[in-house]
Amino acid sequence: MAASISSSCCVSSLRLIPFKRTFFSSVNPPSKNLILRPIPSFLRTIVTFQKIPTGIVSPLPASSSPSSSVDLQPIEELPPKLQEIVKLFQSVQEPKAKYEQLLFYGKNLKPLDSRFKTRENKVEGCVSQVWVRAFFDEERNVVYEADSDSVLTKGLAALLVNGLSGRPVTEILRVTPDFAVLLGLQQSLTPSRNNGFLNMLKLMQKKALSLEVKAEEGTSESTTDEASVVEVDLESKPPSVVEVEESESVSNVVALGSRGMRIREKLEKELNPVELEVEDVSYQHAGHAAVRGSAGADGETHFNLRVVSDAFQGKSLVKRHRMVYDLLQEELQSGLHALSIVAKTPAEV
Amino acid sequence: MEGVAMKLPSFKSLAPAAISVASTFSTRRSFSFARRSSSLSAATITADSEPASLGHRARKDFRILHQEVNGSKLVYLDSAATSQKPAAVLEALQNYYEFYNSNVHRGIHYLSAKATDEFELARKKVARFINASDSREIVFTRNATEAINLVAYSWGLSNLKPGDEVILTVAEHHSCIVPWQIVSQKTGAVLKFVTLNEDEVPDIDMLREMISEKTKLVAVHHVSNVLASSLPIEEIVVWAHDVGAKVLVDACQSVPHMVVDVQKLNADFLVASSHKMCGPTGIGFLYGKSDLLLAMPPFLGGGEMISDVFLDHSTYAEPPSRFEAGTPAIGEAIALGAACDYLSDIGMPKIHEYEVELAKYLYEKLASVPDVRIYGPRPSESVQRAALCSFNVEGLHPTDLATFLDQQHGVAIRSGHHCAQPLHRYLGVNASARASLYFYNTKEDVDSFIVALADTVSFFNSFK
Repeated sequence: MAASISSSCCVSSLRLIPFKRTFFSSVNPPSKNLILRPIPSFLRTIVTFQKIPTGIVSPLPASSSPSSSVDLQPIEELPPKLQEIVKLFQSVQEPKAKYEQLLFYGKNLKPLDSRFKTRENKVEGCVSQVWVRAFFDEERNVVYEADSDSVLTKGLAALLVNGLSGRPVTEILRVTPDFAVLLGLQQSLTPSRNNGFLNMLKLMQKKALSLEVKAEEGTSESTTDEASVVEVDLESKPPSVVEVEESESVSNVVALGSRGMRIREKLEKELNPVELEVEDVSYQHAGHAAVRGSAGADGETHFNLRVVSDAFQGKSLVKRHRMVYDLLQEELQSGLHALSIVAKTPAEV
Repeated sequence: MEGVAMKLPSFKSLAPAAISVASTFSTRRSFSFARRSSSLSAATITADSEPASLGHRARKDFRILHQEVNGSKLVYLDSAATSQKPAAVLEALQNYYEFYNSNVHRGIHYLSAKATDEFELARKKVARFINASDSREIVFTRNATEAINLVAYSWGLSNLKPGDEVILTVAEHHSCIVPWQIVSQKTGAVLKFVTLNEDEVPDIDMLREMISEKTKLVAVHHVSNVLASSLPIEEIVVWAHDVGAKVLVDACQSVPHMVVDVQKLNADFLVASSHKMCGPTGIGFLYGKSDLLLAMPPFLGGGEMISDVFLDHSTYAEPPSRFEAGTPAIGEAIALGAACDYLSDIGMPKIHEYEVELAKYLYEKLASVPDVRIYGPRPSESVQRAALCSFNVEGLHPTDLATFLDQQHGVAIRSGHHCAQPLHRYLGVNASARASLYFYNTKEDVDSFIVALADTVSFFNSFK
């Protein structure tokens, strides 16, 4: 079926033997400090020849696929669902119909709960707003959810979510942005700073990697326990193991800074607690990217909370945590990254 | 026939353009030939038929406008971001490099003398363009942003003290906000912002009230790149000078489009960019009153701006050289001079008059599209809008809009925050779309835009 690419491509080359090249080369390495994967050296022989497309490309042997320039990643390396999506877009010739297809994907994208629309989940460099969330399912496959206020970008996000969701980390990391060329959607192609599509893919890969690394660290935050699921999403950023940059000198002062005080005040005012402990543990997380980037730059990013209050009567664990989060929305928007919450009623203590 | 008519809406008056576009429709040439020859004769006898507008006539000088993008005729409506350059300007630049490229100010030989002459002549042309009294009041910079930074770092750092106030508006371009933020952090000065009134223009009464003994600088736009409104600079200068404050005018959207007379405005500083006024990128200028410039310390250090250099200290040149470190963008300055000539030949009053008409047409047409919200004031007897409209369509993200307009219709508009994030935040939106015109646009461009917009809106609406 391999239809010719509708947008401006001039030459296609046929590869008879798949060529595995380093994908951390020129354009878009998924993450700065990734552990490099070994490239099998025996897979380096290639035979290429140029062919000018005459419109219809004859069916090829199963092991190779046409691509519009010499260096594109072969389509077989993509996750199966993404391959399907690429082929679907290739079969749709007219640009307008491609957009319709994209919008269709976007419309059917599962909406993202607004509490996941955080700074860590936001794709940088987008003129529109795009959020991506990632978590593991029971089999340690990455599940993605995404949203955007622009319907075209939502379509692109949906495309990536559908294509990458439910796949293992290694497969996701192998994907390069080359397939965007095959989609024939010109807007995703310019590798400029504002290219949201590339940045979306990068963020999704970065999140996949950090889930993997965190799981290997074996910290409790990576379990799918209900209470901690919420914390995972707040803390979806590269952990300190991978970061090579020097850690911030955050003081180990036990006394609460301004944010700590605000948290205390808010909780006291709204929950009327019998017991309230607010512990600033930001220093334990000093050195990972979020602390450095926090808007307040006051280093108050991680807290342990222990709240005993009648307000929690009759509410499930998740509901209790949500109450606390809702009260601290402002802090969460301005640099607070994670809370570890113990929420009990007086009877339970 | 349908196809041709769609791409050449006003067949009669677009005869010159018809030749370049129709040549791409080789199969239709014979069919439309009869019509074309009659329209040609009609166009040559302009006295009898309707006269070609300024836009139609000027288009001939801009080859870039005569092309197709994504299968449609290009409709360029993004001149507020950057303007197109006429052949004369491109020739001047090419000419410089081809015939007399040489470093300026220091050379003895023929080429360098010629380059220096042309460079300084360009400075005079710019001075004349804005009616500065002396060409030494024109400092060439890389663009208006650099010019504002120059004032911020040079004048600001040495004149602002803790507690001093700098007055801006929420509608300023980032280039007239961020440098002041940086400098106020360093000096302890305080930034105050004028908000908008119910007509969606900066509140002049609020501005007047804000000006006090503490005010040291008022830095405002002349014409807003989002709201299309203009500020009464002359009055603002009077109020500011009354309390001993200086005024910096960001004239990026005014100098290209209307007569700007710095002596009449009596502004202390004025900045503009070449690339918005038919000149090349890479050059802009700061106008500063002589006595102010004389008292200002250097901004960037290096060659050209010095008088004598020793190991432990240096003495500095007089303005404008004092603020022009290193080899300048010589060719670009000369091309900017050519742009000033080109615009002056047409006549800025004529350009302005044409654009006022075009602005009204754009606004009326855009406002008649359902669910469109245009930002800024409504045009009226007392309120003239610039020839641009920032707008949003209900339920449609501006990026989607701009993408579809470009991909399906070849219409180039801008979407985003237009370097005015505080303004968008104030208006309660993340981003907006903006169509901006210049004197080489025509009513037909506006028509094409509106048709494309309607098609785009219906496409996206069908998905709701």
